[in-house]
Amino acid sequence: MHEIALYAEEGFPPRFRYRICTVEMTGEGVLLREAGLLLPGKTAELMLREAPKAALVLCTLGLGFDTALRSAQARDMARAVMLDACGSALVEAGCDQAEEALRSLFPGAYLTDRFSPGYGDLPLNVQPGLLSALDAQRRLGVYVTDGCLMNPSKSVTAVIGLCEKPQRARIRGCAFCALRGDCVYRKRGTECEKI
Amino acid sequence: MKKFDLPLLLDGAMGTMLQKAGLRPGEIPELMNLDHPQAVRDIQAAYVDAGSRVIYANTFGANSIKLKKTGHTAREVILSGVRIAREAARGRALVGLDVGPLGQLMEPLGTMPFEEAYALFAEMVRAGAEAGADLIAIETMTDLAEARAALLAAKENSALPVFVTMSFDASGRTFTGCTAASAAAVLTGLGADAIGVNCSLGPKEVLPILEEMRAHTPLPLIAKPNAGLPDPVDGHYSLSAPDFAFDMRALTDAGAQIVGGCCGTDPEYIRALAACAGTAGEALAPCAPGPFLCTPTQPMPLNKVRLIGERINPTGKKRFQQALLENDLDYIVGVAIQQLDAGAEILDVNVGYPGVNEEEMLPRVVKALQAAVDAPLQLDSVNPKALEAALRVYSGKAAVNSVSGKEESLNAILPLVKKYGAAVVGLALDDDGLPDTAEKRFAIAEKILSRALSLGIPREDVWIDCLTLTVSAQQEQAMETLGAVRLVREKLGLQTVLGVSNISFGLPSRLLMTQTFLVCALFAGLTLPIVNPNQKEIMDAVAAFRALNREDGESKRYIERFAGAPAQAAPAPTAARLSLREAVVRGLKSEAGAIAKDMLADHAPLALVEQHLIPALDQVGADYEKGAVFLPQLLSAAQAAQAVFEKIKEALGGTERETVSKGRILIATVQGDIHDIGKNIVKTVLQNYGYDVTDLGRDVPPETIARAAEEGKAPLVGLSALMTTTLPAMEETIRQLRALENPPRIMVGGAVVTEAWAKSAGADFYARDARAAALIAKEVFGV
Repeated sequence: MHEIALYAEEGFPPRFRYRICTVEMTGEGVLLREAGLLLPGKTAELMLREAPKAALVLCTLGLGFDTALRSAQARDMARAVMLDACGSALVEAGCDQAEEALRSLFPGAYLTDRFSPGYGDLPLNVQPGLLSALDAQRRLGVYVTDGCLMNPSKSVTAVIGLCEKPQRARIRGCAFCALRGDCVYRKRGTECEKI
Repeated sequence: MKKFDLPLLLDGAMGTMLQKAGLRPGEIPELMNLDHPQAVRDIQAAYVDAGSRVIYANTFGANSIKLKKTGHTAREVILSGVRIAREAARGRALVGLDVGPLGQLMEPLGTMPFEEAYALFAEMVRAGAEAGADLIAIETMTDLAEARAALLAAKENSALPVFVTMSFDASGRTFTGCTAASAAAVLTGLGADAIGVNCSLGPKEVLPILEEMRAHTPLPLIAKPNAGLPDPVDGHYSLSAPDFAFDMRALTDAGAQIVGGCCGTDPEYIRALAACAGTAGEALAPCAPGPFLCTPTQPMPLNKVRLIGERINPTGKKRFQQALLENDLDYIVGVAIQQLDAGAEILDVNVGYPGVNEEEMLPRVVKALQAAVDAPLQLDSVNPKALEAALRVYSGKAAVNSVSGKEESLNAILPLVKKYGAAVVGLALDDDGLPDTAEKRFAIAEKILSRALSLGIPREDVWIDCLTLTVSAQQEQAMETLGAVRLVREKLGLQTVLGVSNISFGLPSRLLMTQTFLVCALFAGLTLPIVNPNQKEIMDAVAAFRALNREDGESKRYIERFAGAPAQAAPAPTAARLSLREAVVRGLKSEAGAIAKDMLADHAPLALVEQHLIPALDQVGADYEKGAVFLPQLLSAAQAAQAVFEKIKEALGGTERETVSKGRILIATVQGDIHDIGKNIVKTVLQNYGYDVTDLGRDVPPETIARAAEEGKAPLVGLSALMTTTLPAMEETIRQLRALENPPRIMVGGAVVTEAWAKSAGADFYARDARAAALIAKEVFGV
């Protein structure tokens, strides 16, 4: 497992890019002005209501990881499953790096939890607009399908509010998770974050 | 064909200029051709005034996918785009039809088939030619498969010159991992008129990429980089117009004859470039690339002995024949992987067998292989249609095996080799048969070479096979073959190919004879031996030759291979002590296979499965449910079981095999969903419980699944979905399956599927994981 994690880390370092936008509350949702992107629903409103600015973030391991994963599946499914899991962890770590970059860029700002299309009531169909605002295909080789899925598979988009006041955690943890009712970890009396 | 002069000044960025002219975020830039033609025309006229001698029409994304929801057709947008550019040029500049990526990933990375991409590009090309474009500029490509589709569409649907540029990142590769060397070789072979780099990075960063391209093409080179690197926060590019023009000098000095700018540039940058153009270095002599083969991600210069694996071939292999007849591509991919792990570098691919439609099967196998392995292929068929179908979809530079000196063969094969830019194996025989002297075979080699050259096939792409005959039947011929190899290598300097195994047919100690002949042939000048890399003795001989021939610096690989190796291969010690059950439970694949092979001597296959294999899998399954082992161990056990099944299949003929299959299951990831590792896990586990699993893949439309269930008469269908957005597709698939005359039982699973949802959607079973799926199968089939 350790060897696979090292292979993933060395072979497919996460790459990210971000774009800072001005936040405007409108009747139809939160407008990220420079991107021309409207985020409908309560989640975006809750997350960004104290944020004068927000960052759109994209992080990806790139298509090379998907190629490696497909090749691993043809060779050794057990290894492929572990590689897949390492990839998921790695792209999240990449998002953490992006957050760190934002923190050092805006030293005085308080960051909200990062949230993504598909969380809460932020619909997945904002994905194409979000990716296009980040020029994702040209800059990082990230495509979006008709069904709003990203390709490469280990890609994450997120929105992070940049606030002047401290922000409390609003979406991290079991209380906010869609799998809460059916979670194997909770059934065992634990949580995924504690594994 | 209209000519273009060299050097040639292109234009600069279009997108950012359109934004300045009022294009809003999210709007489709190409629609400006219809809504604001004057704005587009003004930008292009400014480029012509600045010195551009080619301007690209505003058609980069004018394809039917991107225009789908606009109510406008690609043709309409392209006709207006080219017309506007012609008006701006007023005869002072050529107009290029700009063709960018489609915006959807192609197979195998994405889901768009080659044929569909080709059709979309062909539509653009026909409209561009109709509108009077002077050339076609395919640009910003990151997937060589897509660049190939566009280039083929351009060549087959117009007579215009074609420029192709790709976009690379700082690693020197595109986002899909394509190298500059592979791109240059493939696009040159396919008939581009000029190739190069656009977008990507700034001029300085593009230099090494352009140099790598130059080493692999004699074509004029294009450089259209960005104005430096963008600032991560405000997006502004780092280079001013004078600095950009200054940095571009390095690219023109390195051989770029067609230059312009991409992101961050404007007419000022072109004016600055034009001012420098008079002082730019003169054209360098075109480069003469050496013999070369590649996949998009793996360039392979043929500058030393390269081993061609011969095992993807049904001749004399029952298990392989069966795989072909059953369309079992996983097995064929497995054979490929085994050869590469053993040291093969190029894979010969032959699927000719009675009852197999080669014209369908060869491209299908090529697609499956290039999705899973990264080695150049040698397409082996006597059927020109099958070869063409495979060459069309192969994304790298392939070799064709083979042409001979026969008129019919020369006329059928060489034009294909030329059109698709492949290398070709020329067999040293002709209409009079196989000559019995080295000199006569050499004469045929010369004839094949001269015919190839007359068609424009580069010399380095002609390989010669002097043909091995069986020494037990025609003893005097062995030395003639070796003599011919020496002549071809020394007098023509061509690559030489030889299938060596045939030498020892009908003799005892075959390996010794084959090994000895191989060594003689390598010494005579054989560069591309076709071998069975799974034979240790053959690979040992090659390792020794490479050290002697100074291909293995400091004999490092030789020492690695043999230092510390036991003098005599001992039988695997663990296999004797382990039981089959233990080997499977512990996930020991090769041990499990070895034990099964021994046990088959005195166990009926079915008994082996029922009494040993299934109890082992049940034990692992139970441990998994208890949380004592995890998914990787479950899968390792499944793979060990697969090794056992392989031994059983090898031991059985086709009809008897039915007795060990417990039933047929169809599985698919539903339409819209492209994440399929979960489905693949379920497949691995089910297969190794003894079920015949037909895998329809990912993003599969409901109709396809319903039709397959009906035709395949599968009693159980498994559906997977990962995203909430694809649950409706799963529901629709269930509905269509239920509407069949003999509806199958349906199990569903995937990250977002719950037991309650499964019930409400009308599925028979909810499979929480792979283990649960196996238990459901047991319930359905009773075994």
